Amino acid sequence: MSTTKRGYSLRRRLLSRTALLLVAVLLLLSLGAWRYARQAADYSYDRLLNSASLSIMEGLLVRNGRVDLDLPYAALEMMQLAPDDKVFYQVRNPQGEWITGYDDLPQPETFEPSDKPFFYDARYRGEPLRFVIQSKRLTEPAVSGWVQVTLGQTLNARRELMVDILYKALLALLGLMLLALAALWFGINRALDPLSLISRTLKQRSAGDTEPLAQTPIQEVSPLVDAINSYHRRLLDNLEAMKTFIADASHQIRTAQSATQAQLDIASQTNDPATLPQRLDTIRQQHLQLTRLTNQLLAHAMVVHRSDTQSLEPIDIDALLKQLLTECVRDHAHRDIDFAYHCDLPHCSLPADRVSLREAVRNLLDNAVRYGPDDNQIDLQLVAAANGGLDIIVDDRGTGIAPHLRRQALQRFSRLATEASGSGLGLSIVQSVAEAHGGDLFLENSPLGGLRARLHLPGGST
Amino acid sequence: MKKRLCSLLLMLIILVAPALAETDEGDPVLIYSATDAPAIQPVLEAFRAANPDLAAEYREFNTMELHERIKSLEDEGYPDLVISSAMDLQVRLVNDGFARPFDDPVLDELPAWANWRNEAFGFSYEPVVFVYNKAAFAGRPLPTTHEDLATALRSDGAFFQHRVGSYDVRTSGVGYLVATQDEVTSSLSGRLKESLGRAFTQVYCCTSQLLDAIAEGDLVLGYNLLGSYALARAQRDPRIGVIVPEDYALVVSRVAFITKKAPNPGGAERFLRFLLSFQGQQVIADNGELIALHPRATGPFSIDALTGEQLPNFHPIVLGPALMVYLDQSKRRRFISEWQNALLYDPVAP
Repeated sequence: MSTTKRGYSLRRRLLSRTALLLVAVLLLLSLGAWRYARQAADYSYDRLLNSASLSIMEGLLVRNGRVDLDLPYAALEMMQLAPDDKVFYQVRNPQGEWITGYDDLPQPETFEPSDKPFFYDARYRGEPLRFVIQSKRLTEPAVSGWVQVTLGQTLNARRELMVDILYKALLALLGLMLLALAALWFGINRALDPLSLISRTLKQRSAGDTEPLAQTPIQEVSPLVDAINSYHRRLLDNLEAMKTFIADASHQIRTAQSATQAQLDIASQTNDPATLPQRLDTIRQQHLQLTRLTNQLLAHAMVVHRSDTQSLEPIDIDALLKQLLTECVRDHAHRDIDFAYHCDLPHCSLPADRVSLREAVRNLLDNAVRYGPDDNQIDLQLVAAANGGLDIIVDDRGTGIAPHLRRQALQRFSRLATEASGSGLGLSIVQSVAEAHGGDLFLENSPLGGLRARLHLPGGST
Repeated sequence: MKKRLCSLLLMLIILVAPALAETDEGDPVLIYSATDAPAIQPVLEAFRAANPDLAAEYREFNTMELHERIKSLEDEGYPDLVISSAMDLQVRLVNDGFARPFDDPVLDELPAWANWRNEAFGFSYEPVVFVYNKAAFAGRPLPTTHEDLATALRSDGAFFQHRVGSYDVRTSGVGYLVATQDEVTSSLSGRLKESLGRAFTQVYCCTSQLLDAIAEGDLVLGYNLLGSYALARAQRDPRIGVIVPEDYALVVSRVAFITKKAPNPGGAERFLRFLLSFQGQQVIADNGELIALHPRATGPFSIDALTGEQLPNFHPIVLGPALMVYLDQSKRRRFISEWQNALLYDPVAP
């Protein structure tokens, strides 16, 4: 969604959406209030109409076999309870003939006289009216049948009452809504308070502040504080590791540089030209070592950086290893080293970072070459691990590493054999790569007599 | 109520604004009214003075004739304004849809009972009173309540016989209104009607004829007369006196409405606004014949002046659909027949 990309105010969004919801509810309730108001007004004035028509009924009398009406004053006086409404009435005898009142009142379409009043709406003389028909069954010998009293009233009072009820209901609803909005505003602000507090605290902290954030009693916020603290701690740890690494790296580079410098100084001051080639060779060796050290440092930094940023994608490990071994064989073609490769697995795809994995295996192969004898045998294997995933195994026939020194060998800038020109970073890089893939690096005894380096990569091999 | 024979339609046309003044406004306001011309004339003159651009044409009718006239009109020929003291008939016309609404700030100061639906407006305050001949009543106690009157009529039959007058409810609209409202308001009305019958009450069509007869001494007492005319006459004529009954006094209000099909509704609104305004009401309070309804109006013909001495129990007739009850065909037939039986039970009376 695009909204997640653009910045937005949580407070405003919460408020506006809740307000929208409230408005919808208000509209719905208003509709209800309108219906109720209409019903209430109709109910009230229908009762008035009914009472007045019953009162007119009281004035009915039969004289000389004819139905007549003595219209009671109270009937129409009662109708003045709706003071601004016109009143129309009509009385019909059992034969349906007009007796008195207005003789042209509109009649309902279907009407059956009964004891119950019959209400209907109609227009008369240009105005909408509400009518009631009240019927009474006469059973006198001369006249028998239904006498009908029709009474109508204009709608002013109904409308006034309806508007009044509606107005008051809407006023109450509106007040309620405003109250709810105010409560909402208050509530949202209160709910977001811890966020502002945390951001304020974070802003005020100096970069070197190692104290974790104070814990909060609010259940919903404490995970956030925990996460920030945990993140902060990891950052500090990384920073610490970086510091150590930089200190170590600069020490190593300075040492190598000053050794080279010393050889150069000696070479430039010597009087014996015969020794020059030998000194030059020493300088070259030392420079090679410096170059290698620099490369390894950069490779290490690259591997660490990639492990932080790259996501793992399935790659064909088998193909990668074959390619690496091919390169290695080509590089060391002038030496008497025996390379071998085994892979029995049908499919060797695994989520991994091609570049860093390549660097790691490359290092293992280089180490095997570097620390092994001239007639070394180096076996590269890709096997399924016992606990799932894959193991990349490099065996050699060298001297190996004594078990008690293996831990040390994995640390940065630790070289076990001082005579060999190692940087002390190779295995450290491999281990970083293994960790970046969630795996591990194991140093074991090789059946060939030398060292076995086993790089374990977890994850389902398919 | 009329100075002339009521059965005749008298059209008294008063062009209040000179014809020459009719310039830009064009149409005059046409007023059909059941009010004596002299009573309304001060108001018309004041209106003309305040609105020189608008002419007002005034035609006088009897209340019943006016009602029939309006009902018989088709689409053409409507007046702009209809004025009548027969409140019930006016309410009926409004109920039947002959009126158009008029909403104006000027209505705020008027009492609620004198306004129905913002269509019918009462603009005067005319108590229904007893009128007596002062000379005839010299040394006699004056009946100050309806009960007093009923008792006096019974106990002093000889004095009152053939010398009591009232309206003929069959021909006088306002007479019918006050007689029916008497029946609604008072439990005494039956007894009083009977007593009036025993005294061989004479019936007249109009207030003016009744007042003439009382002043001349033909009658000693007039029952249920419009107080506005009576008070105005009593001011000019020392022979007659007016009693505002203490137990209750009905108050009739002359009702005006603008017709729905008024040819000049704007002019009608201007006239009605003036009539109901403090300014117009003060003209009525100063000049008499009518009595001003406006609570702030002062003068000899204001509510203030009526309530000056005593504290009568005024009972204004409320404008509303209840007034139509006695207009019901059966009800009217029944009432008139009862009234005839009670008041005119001796048809051979002179």
